[in-house]
Amino acid sequence: MTGALWRCLALGALGLFVLLPFAQTVMLSFVSTLPREGLAEGTPSLVNYRNILASPALMASLVNSGVYVVLNVALCLVAGLPAAYALARYRFVGDRHFLFLLLAFRVTPPVVLSLPVFILFAQFGLVNSPVGIALVHCLFNLPVTIWILESFISAVPRELDETAFLDGQSLPRFLIRHLIPAIAPGIGVAAFFCFIFSWVEVVFARALTVTAGKPITMAINALFGFQTDIGLVMAMTVVSLVPGVAMIWFVRRHIARGFTLRA
Amino acid sequence: MKPQSNRAWLLVLPALAVMGFVGVLPLVAVLNYSFHDIFSLSDVHWVGVEWYAEIVSSARFHGSLARSLVFSALVIAIQIPLGVGVAMLLRRSGRLGVAMMMLLAAPLVVPWNMIPIMWLNLVDPPAGLIGGAFEALGIGFDRKFDPLHTWILILVMDCWHWLGLVVILAYAGLSAIPDAYYRAAAIDGASRLDVLRHIEIPKIAGALGIVLLLRFVDSFMIYTEAFAINAGGPDRATHFLAIDLGEDIKGFSYGTSAARSMVYFLIVITVVWVFARIMAGRQAERGAGS
Repeated sequence: MTGALWRCLALGALGLFVLLPFAQTVMLSFVSTLPREGLAEGTPSLVNYRNILASPALMASLVNSGVYVVLNVALCLVAGLPAAYALARYRFVGDRHFLFLLLAFRVTPPVVLSLPVFILFAQFGLVNSPVGIALVHCLFNLPVTIWILESFISAVPRELDETAFLDGQSLPRFLIRHLIPAIAPGIGVAAFFCFIFSWVEVVFARALTVTAGKPITMAINALFGFQTDIGLVMAMTVVSLVPGVAMIWFVRRHIARGFTLRA
Repeated sequence: MKPQSNRAWLLVLPALAVMGFVGVLPLVAVLNYSFHDIFSLSDVHWVGVEWYAEIVSSARFHGSLARSLVFSALVIAIQIPLGVGVAMLLRRSGRLGVAMMMLLAAPLVVPWNMIPIMWLNLVDPPAGLIGGAFEALGIGFDRKFDPLHTWILILVMDCWHWLGLVVILAYAGLSAIPDAYYRAAAIDGASRLDVLRHIEIPKIAGALGIVLLLRFVDSFMIYTEAFAINAGGPDRATHFLAIDLGEDIKGFSYGTSAARSMVYFLIVITVVWVFARIMAGRQAERGAGS
């Protein structure tokens, strides 16, 4: 009995700890925090959200972030799926080194590479463009995609491949027609992680957007100034949370079952 | 056993090309810059290992390295046991546990530069909920000028940010333990502590290894969050390794920042290499045992 009580208390305290910053953010986002005509400071209002809709820069930043994140997910899946298939089904010279390379770049701090990436991408016209950010985010998302897909493909019986090849199907056709449906949940989980990591990344996104193509994170930084409208900042933060929270909702069954892991 | 086929490389090629362009090429460039003194990109002089010698012998580097190591040690010492404990608690909480896990995942999807903004709003009186409560209770909290308070704020914020990751991965590891193990332990009359020591910890070691590595590298190179709280202050008390590098880059000293990047990269890669060796050793052991 006392055990159950303690458990409830512990969970309650934990819930409060996680929720508190969110509560603060949502509260402030519905308050007018600057003196305005006919609106006293501190009055509850939707003015911040109206201001987001009225600001072309903020709306454009939402589109920019959305574009490079989606592009990054697509890139990672397209390049990651064949590699994951190869690692799951074959042994080849240097496969362990390839895995180590993936691990090494997954954990390389972005700040270490931000300068040369900027110089390199500038030569290819990839600065200020969502393509550049989508590409550079592959640095940490492609390894994650390959690990996740590899573990899902390994769980698929090899007979699936063999029957398809005996039927005379080509490899690309097999991957699209048979393998992808068989590992659909894995593709969902990989897409989830790529989406999240790309959405929250700041260092590369900042380095690669000098004059245009600013993502939502940089648009929020730009709001800080001599007289910061903190309510607007908080409203924009709330908006930036929506896609991530929606993604968590989509993969909740996987969170409950435990993501398939492989060290 | 998987068949051997070097034609599998063709399938890996697209991924390798992408990693080469965004990873290997910039890394080679950093290595190259680190041996040069670069005034502008057209005015470059070879200096050899001068930058490295300067950095490695500087008090500034030693100070930042010590602070980053202490920070990582604290982060791991707090978050790993806490996360495993919470995961065990949630395992026994059914539907509520799943709801709780979704809640714990929420901080992971907050863009990194918003996290310090959210926390600063929370602790700054009078509008902040915590700041206001502290003020009402008469608790003095000075995140700007008291180094201890800055450290506490960054540690609590980091715990808020990352605890969900530890919990989710630990929970996944725990879920993979067959019920038969627990039943056998119950028949043997094993205590809770025995179950933890001889079943749970060894079984989730693989999952924990990954968490440990991720938490180490991310906390060791913390930048965005820590800088926004107090810009490395007060009096350099929270001046971590990545903040040094950020200063170099902002000052356009390409040579030193490249050498510094390489030093950090080498530290991180050594840790990863040791980690990979340990994991490979564990895997070989398991393969031999089963």
